[in-house]
This record gives sequence, C-alpha cells and structure tokens, in this order.
Amino acid sequence: MTASDYEILLVDDSQEDVDLTLHALRREKVINHVQVARDGEEAIDFLFCQGPFAGRSFDQLPRLILLDLKLPKIDGIEVLRRIKSDERTRVIPVVILTSSREERDLIKGYDFGANSYIQKPVDFNQFRETVQRIGLYWMLTNQQPVFSTRVKGQGGV
Amino acid sequence: MKPAEAVGFSKIGLRVLLVEDTAADAELILRELRRGGFEVSGEVVQSPEQFRRRLCSDLPDIVLADYNLGGWSGIEALDILQEQHLNIPLILVSGALGDVTAVECIKRGATDYVLKDNLARLPVSIRRALAERRLHDDRRRAEEELARKASELERSNMELEQFAYVASHDLQEPLRMVAAYTQLLAERYHGKLDAQADKYIHYAVVGAQRMQTLIQDLLAFSRAGRGGLDLEATDCNLLVKDAMQNLILAAREGGAIVKYRDLPVVMVNPAQLRQVFQNLIGNAIKFRGSKPSVVQITAERANGDWLFAVSDNGIGIAPEHAESIFVVFQRLHTRTEYAGNGIGLSICKKIIERHGGRIWLESVEGQGSTFKFTLPAKEPGAALPAGTEIGSRRPDEEHTRSLVG
Amino acid sequence: MKNTPEVLLVDDNPADIDLTSDALARTRFPHRISSVADGAEAVAFLRREGKHTSAQRPDLVILDLNLPRMDGRAVLAEVKADPILRRTPVVIFSTSQALPDVGRSYELGANSYVCKPGNLQDFISVVQSISEFWFGCAALPQWEDS
Repeated sequence: MTASDYEILLVDDSQEDVDLTLHALRREKVINHVQVARDGEEAIDFLFCQGPFAGRSFDQLPRLILLDLKLPKIDGIEVLRRIKSDERTRVIPVVILTSSREERDLIKGYDFGANSYIQKPVDFNQFRETVQRIGLYWMLTNQQPVFSTRVKGQGGV
Repeated sequence: MKPAEAVGFSKIGLRVLLVEDTAADAELILRELRRGGFEVSGEVVQSPEQFRRRLCSDLPDIVLADYNLGGWSGIEALDILQEQHLNIPLILVSGALGDVTAVECIKRGATDYVLKDNLARLPVSIRRALAERRLHDDRRRAEEELARKASELERSNMELEQFAYVASHDLQEPLRMVAAYTQLLAERYHGKLDAQADKYIHYAVVGAQRMQTLIQDLLAFSRAGRGGLDLEATDCNLLVKDAMQNLILAAREGGAIVKYRDLPVVMVNPAQLRQVFQNLIGNAIKFRGSKPSVVQITAERANGDWLFAVSDNGIGIAPEHAESIFVVFQRLHTRTEYAGNGIGLSICKKIIERHGGRIWLESVEGQGSTFKFTLPAKEPGAALPAGTEIGSRRPDEEHTRSLVG
Repeated sequence: MKNTPEVLLVDDNPADIDLTSDALARTRFPHRISSVADGAEAVAFLRREGKHTSAQRPDLVILDLNLPRMDGRAVLAEVKADPILRRTPVVIFSTSQALPDVGRSYELGANSYVCKPGNLQDFISVVQSISEFWFGCAALPQWEDS
C-alpha cells in the first residue's frame, strides 16, 4: 500500500478544536498531511471527488477520518452513513471525535458503523494527549485496509 | 519383423519399396541387394496411387525410386512421403541424371542417388541411409527424453518451492509460541531458580528467536519467487518512502538519512521492488560504521534500461566477496558482529532477475558500498491514460527522509 | 469510562489467550476478561445463550480469525449484522497480514484490525496500545442490563 497525499481527513467546524488537533497530530512524525473540512458537505465532496474536489480520484482516499457530529450543512451521522454505505469508502476507519456527551449519539455512532467514538476532553492537555493516542493507534497499531498502489498519471499518485 | 540394422556386412532383413516401371530393372536392383548382403522382402509399385496404397499398410525400411517413371517422377514419391510425414529414406536409382538435377533431388530430401549402371554402390548407400536414419531417430528420442526430464524437473522444483513456502508459513505459529513462552519464562524466573537454569532458558530464548528470523527470511525468499509477476506502473519515489516506513523501528539506534531524487516510474511488481529497496536500505543502515548512516538513491537511463544505485557510507565490502554476498545464507560477519541470516541480498537478486535486470556491487572496504541494479524500461501498454510518459521523472526537489527514532 | 470494561477474547489457542491476558494485565487499566475457544461459542456468549445466559456483555471483543466450528469472519459477519450486537467494537487480532484477510475483515465491519506480532516485546507493546486506545481514550457502548 502506498502513501496517499492526504492521510487524515479532519471534519470539524470549530477553528479552536481544529488548531489543537492539527498541532497534536503534527507532533507525530508519521503523519504528513491533514485535510480539513469545515462542514459535512465539504467532507462528502472531498471523499467522493465531487464539486470543488472533482479533480481528485478514489486512489487518493485518506487513511483515517476524524469526524465531529455537530456540523453545518450535512451533519456528522449523515456523513458517516454515506461513508459506510458506499463500497469505495466504507473501509476507511472513521473515528468520531465529538464534544457530545449524549449516550444516544454514542450508540448511534457505533450503530451507523463508526470504527470508534471519542468524547473530546475538556482539558487542553488531555485533548492533546487523546489526539496523539488516536494518531498512534490508527496509523501505527491498526492495520490499514487495502488501497491501490497504481500510478495514475502526472498529477499526484 | 525386426527393423533393419546396418551391422557390418552380416545378412540383415530389409523391406524395400521399389518405385520402378521397368520389370527388368527392378529385378536387377533386387538381385544387387541380395548380393550386397540383404535379405530382401520387396514390393514394386509403378503409379502414385499404388505407392500411396502401399504406404497405408506395412511401412518399408527404404524406398528406391526411379527418376523417370512414365507419367511421373521419383521425386514426386519423395513429396508423397514428406506430405505424410513419413521419415523413410528415399534413394533415387536412375539412368543418367544431370548434376544439376541430382543436386536438386538431394536438396529436396532424397537421401542419395545411384546410377543404374553402377548398382554395386547401392547396398553401401542403403546401409549409410539406414544408419543416418537410426542416428536421427535416436537423437530425436533423446531430445524428447530430455524435454520430459526437464519438465519433470520443473514440476518438482515448483513442488519444492511450494513446500518450502507452506512449511515456512506453517512453522511460524508454533515458533511464535515457543519464542513467547521461553521469553516469559526468562522474565518470570530470572534469578529465582539457579544460574544454570537462567543460562538454559537464555539459550532457548536465543534459539527460538533465531528460528523465527530464519523462517521469516525463508518465507520472504519463497515469496520472491512465487506467483505471477503482475507488473504495474509504479512510482519509485513512493516505493522508497513506503519501504522506509518499515525501517523506522530498525533505524532506532543512531539517525539514518536517506536521500533520493527524481526516481522514475517503472513497470514492476510494486511489493517486490519495495522489498528490494527495503533490503538495500536496511543493509546500508545495519552495516554502518562509526558515523550515522547516509544513504543515497539515484536512477539514470543507460542502454534502454533504468540503472539504480543505492550508495552508503558504511563499512564497505572487499571486492573478493562481491559475488558471494548474493548467495543465499552467505554472511561475511559473525552473529555477534551483525544480526541477520544472509538472505536479504539473495532475495534482491531473485527479484531483480525475475524482472529481467541485473544487480551487482561496487564497493571499497572501509568506505561504503554502492549496490547497482538495472530494470528494463518497458512500455506499460494501454493501461495508462494518454499523456503519461513511462520513465518520466517527477521534477521534485530532493527528498531527504530522516529516520531518527 | 464509567465501569470496568468487560473484554471477550476469542481464540482457539489457549497459549494466546494466556499471552493476551498477561499482556493486558500489565496495562494500567482495570478490566475483566472472558474467553471462548471457538466461533459458535463466541456468538452464544454474545447472545447470552446456552451456558452463557448470565454472561457479562462485553464492551470490547478481541477476535482471532482462524477458529474451529465457526471462523472469525463468520462471527464478525453475524455480530455486525445483528441490530443490537453490532455496536460492540470488534478488534480483529490475528497473525495473518494477508491483504485479503485484512480487506475482508473491514468489509464485514471490523472496527479495527491488529496483527499479532511474532516477538514477545512487540506483542506486549501492541496489546498495550490496544488498551491505551480502547480503554483510555474511546467511549464504549454501555449495556443497560448487566
């Protein structure tokens, strides 16, 4: 399996949380690129190579998706549902990273096929530590699902 | 009826098919053959139809044909024999033939020609024709035997490779148990039994770990030769990057720097070529000297191939070992000096050669090594979209990856 | 994580059950382990059928692939097709690194796939990493009835 250009897709509308997450992930040397989507629609467009991302191909899928639940335009559960019901994207690990403490969101998340569900710690240091642990587990310990190594022409691989 | 054998001048049986339209001539010929030491059983035919019909039943050892036969020619009898793929020698027994005609007949496949006013030559000619045919048959039989043995050998080799693969694969599991539990024993009982017990357990642990790497190496070696080659257009820059992911843990001691730039896209089996890069880079890191390892990877066109070079600043290899290092299980150091079973380079060699390339070493002991290998620059076929050049470079800045762990 | 997590280990090799339990014991997270040796029993345990009617519903399942009677893939398929059981995180823990095994597991809905390392130290590290994430980080679905 070959490295793709974007390894993690981070879907979150909170600038503060995005900054914190990016900062925590960058400290892990194994992660090179994080694509950020600010709402559900942008996430869907990115993953399904449509709209402003029509130039992308399904050879460049991210290795991990960190998904918030409360998102503008299309909400997190709907994004999750679409990812897990399309055979091109359903094997990508999706980790829900949300501030929600609702039990029913937790159940719904797992029911709709989320690989895991994390409640964002309120404490700044714990949040950072949590993100690091997520990165370590999903990028190193976890075995990645199968992606293609084919070269598809000049523009990116 | 036993086949004719040319054994000196003892009487031998000979089945002759005579294509002759003059009865007297036929009689003369047969008499000459008997005088020449043959026990002849012969038949005479005159027309092409009769000739064909005779060929349907008992096949003769030899055909003697006149050149001029009224409506047809002896050479047409030759054509009939060839058309039926019958490997029976034909000798033309004829009146005066011009040299040109004679040579023409030989060229078309007649074994010899004998003039009717020199029939004494006929028995010798026949003996020689039969000997030649026997030689020819023997050789063809030998070739068939060889081909059969070769394909048996190939099948047997494949079975052995399959066995080696399955055995290495299946051995991993019980070995894992032995390795894990001997280590747990060591951990739990170290210092709690006696010094002797600690030593015994230690030997068991080391032995089990050695077995594990050996089996893994055998498995990798088996895999390198297995299955179809499955070529894909592969970007070597990404492949090197991937290979180094697997080396991060191995390079934990001392930082290693790997530099590569503008590596091409080639038609290879990506998993196998990745293994080659991984082994070469891994070796460069392992056999470093006192300074941290610096590895350079380059590629250039040379004679229609891509020539790759992986250079390091390590301990180097003396030129007298340049070939033997590619031999499986060949090592140049003791296990206390450097770990490993000596299989990495033989795997590289197997993979590169399977792809139609060559691999060799240029090195100075104490100054580092450069491993070079070639890969054919093939066309990918219709698989790639128009506008994609194979063998094109991605004009990138040089990649430098640091493996500081 | 409110309660002590319940872990179900599914592996037909008792040596591996012991090894995994040993490795989990070295982590800083309290937990309780149940184990079963074949796939059919795993499903019965999860459904609380047969001799497992009073079984504790696991918060995490660590599942090997090659099992007698009903193999890991079939267990996975059945669990992830069940409307209630599907929310249980299932981590495949197998020596196999074969791409078809990995791919198929994800397709069947495995939450995660981890390879069992060959050497002890790595094995312990990997189990440590599993527990750090699933016990120390992730929120696991709780079962109302206990």
